[in-house]
Amino acid sequence: MTRTASIARRTLLGTGAALLAAPALRAQTAVELVVYHYQTGGAARVFRQILDRFQAETPGITVRDIFKQSEQITAEVQAAIAARRPVDAAQVIGKNILFFTTNLPAAPINGDRAANEWLARYLPHFLDLGRVGDDVFALPHSYGTPQIYMNLDLFQQAGLDTDRAPATWDEVIAAAIRIRERTNRAGVAHLHAANKDYGTMLWVMNNGAEYLSKDGMRALFDDARGIEALQTWADLAVRHRVMPIATDQQWTAAFRAGQMGMYMTSSAGLRASVQAAEGRYRLGVAKYPTFGDRPRRVPASGAAMMMFAPAGARRVATVRMFEYLSRREVANLWSRETGYMPLSRDPLADPAMADYVEQFPLVRSSIEQMPDTVGTAVWAPNGAIEAQIEVSNLVSALWAGRGPAAELVPPAVQRVNAILARLNPA
Amino acid sequence: MDGTTAVAAARPPVRAGRPRFRGLVPWLYLAPLLAPLILFVYWPLLHTAWLSLVRWNLQPGQATEFVGLANYAGVLESSLFADASWNSMIYVLAAIPLKVLLPLPVAVFLWSLGRAGGTYRTILFLPTLISFVIVAVVVGWMLNPIAGHVTALLSWLGMGFANPLATPDGAIITIIVLSAWKVFGFNVLLYLAGLASIRRDLIEAMRLDGASDWVILRRLIWPLLSPTTFFVLIATVIFSLQQVFTPIDILTEGGPENGTTNFFYMVYQLAFRTFDIGRGAAGTVLLFLLLLVITLLKLRVLEKRVHYQQ
Repeated sequence: MTRTASIARRTLLGTGAALLAAPALRAQTAVELVVYHYQTGGAARVFRQILDRFQAETPGITVRDIFKQSEQITAEVQAAIAARRPVDAAQVIGKNILFFTTNLPAAPINGDRAANEWLARYLPHFLDLGRVGDDVFALPHSYGTPQIYMNLDLFQQAGLDTDRAPATWDEVIAAAIRIRERTNRAGVAHLHAANKDYGTMLWVMNNGAEYLSKDGMRALFDDARGIEALQTWADLAVRHRVMPIATDQQWTAAFRAGQMGMYMTSSAGLRASVQAAEGRYRLGVAKYPTFGDRPRRVPASGAAMMMFAPAGARRVATVRMFEYLSRREVANLWSRETGYMPLSRDPLADPAMADYVEQFPLVRSSIEQMPDTVGTAVWAPNGAIEAQIEVSNLVSALWAGRGPAAELVPPAVQRVNAILARLNPA
Repeated sequence: MDGTTAVAAARPPVRAGRPRFRGLVPWLYLAPLLAPLILFVYWPLLHTAWLSLVRWNLQPGQATEFVGLANYAGVLESSLFADASWNSMIYVLAAIPLKVLLPLPVAVFLWSLGRAGGTYRTILFLPTLISFVIVAVVVGWMLNPIAGHVTALLSWLGMGFANPLATPDGAIITIIVLSAWKVFGFNVLLYLAGLASIRRDLIEAMRLDGASDWVILRRLIWPLLSPTTFFVLIATVIFSLQQVFTPIDILTEGGPENGTTNFFYMVYQLAFRTFDIGRGAAGTVLLFLLLLVITLLKLRVLEKRVHYQQ
């Protein structure tokens, strides 16, 4: 009896010890990565598919993806790191890369310089956005490029040529006025994004002006080109009355409902726009308009992937995941399913991508526009939000017709620079 | 044996316990209330005051740097401060007629209906139950200048593409009206609770003396409702500043041209959009002081006019 009890006790203790030891043993061989992202709908599904394929290829590494709203992801990632919750990788909006590099424990992807070999798969100007010295902190991932989305049914009703998209801003304005006059619909709108920062940047850079200095410490768009660009944006609302003042969400909803002639927004919205238009109206997509014959110069929108994994197994696993994401066929799959740019060199060398472009020509403009796409202007580490609020106030004042751009832009730029100087002492 | 001794002798024996711990007993009874109060109210308050004196962005391993009152100077110098202060005042001033005074006659009317007022009470209270996030999102859709229902109506009136959220005045009025609509029914209910405590026989007595409805309202109901009015006033003013946060964040993000931002939203932007915890905490302390001053002023000026006895 005693012996039986003793065996039972030993068995019980042994089982308990094994159960306790199991996670520790697993931990030696398995790594779970945590990735924050802001993808929704179809993009979220394909992102998960890509991660599943990576997991299948690399036994021992699992990836948990955590969704956060695009407007909140910056704060959410900071909060998670502050609360010491695991964050191995996160999508970081392009303009915030410098802030994350400076203020958060971001690790260089090419800490082991061997990584430079596979990082060279990307076009260099996309990599430069996350480069500090020789270190690369940001993996190009979900970069979109702005383009014109057109409701071709409204074009037809307005008597416009549906086979030829407006190529310059003068042509866009003429088409928008005609749509307004002939169909009584809104003519055009232009994405502004959070704090109207990206929209302003896009307007001025496309006209050949600089938005910010390289170190992000000074706004530079109070020159003639910058003022001309912002005056054109104001004219859409005030002088030509073809752009109703609204938020991006309201414009997107109106365009997708077939109530607006043209909408300048990111290629990332292509899939959703195609679905919205299906069976309701014909959708057209073309390259972002230029100012006359000036070369097109458009900053990329969207996010890069940054690494926060601590040194050791998790960081090694994160770099392996990044390497997987950088492969041309993976980057192309991501691009095909979302509308983000295929960021690798020569994407059409992949037969699957070439076939896709053949069958789905709406994607062609974003690929053709890749050489015209430049890095997002990056703000200084401190005071970016306050400075952006000044930019937002400037654009609101321009739209409200409080004065010409030549009058409103210079003092606004001075205020932005005063904020940046105050909050980033040398 | 004197009288006192006799009474003491008649009492049942009291368990003396150890004198050392006897003093702790009341604290033990209070502990379930005091512990969360200290943990979740007073400690964060003190900690916020400390954070307002340091530079820190919440990141693990980053040392806090003592900067004295520099964060307060930073808040006062901020481009947001003047607009946030001005707008906060507008939100508070607009709240008094819309949320404190207007519900009163409505409550008196419903009270006069007796049981028949139940349906109206329910209808008025419904907005309080709806999430403010949902309300703001729906209103955003309704006000869509291209495809919204309000736009369709405005177009019919010959005002195509009008967007009330596109101008600072239109945007703040929209948020004030929305916020008043949301809290109106709740304040009516508070007034009804106050009215329920008024004795009907006092009203009957006044009627026998020939008093009109207006005189009854002015001389009897209004004074006896003053404790409720006082409570509604203090609660509404404080609540108004934070309640508008949701529509600001969803509909305007403080714009256009800082036209709708307020103190709460400014603190949120400083603390949780830029993670400048020091300036965010300094803004919070300033906000706390502002609310404290408003409340003390109201206590000092208005409480003298409050009648607590019938």
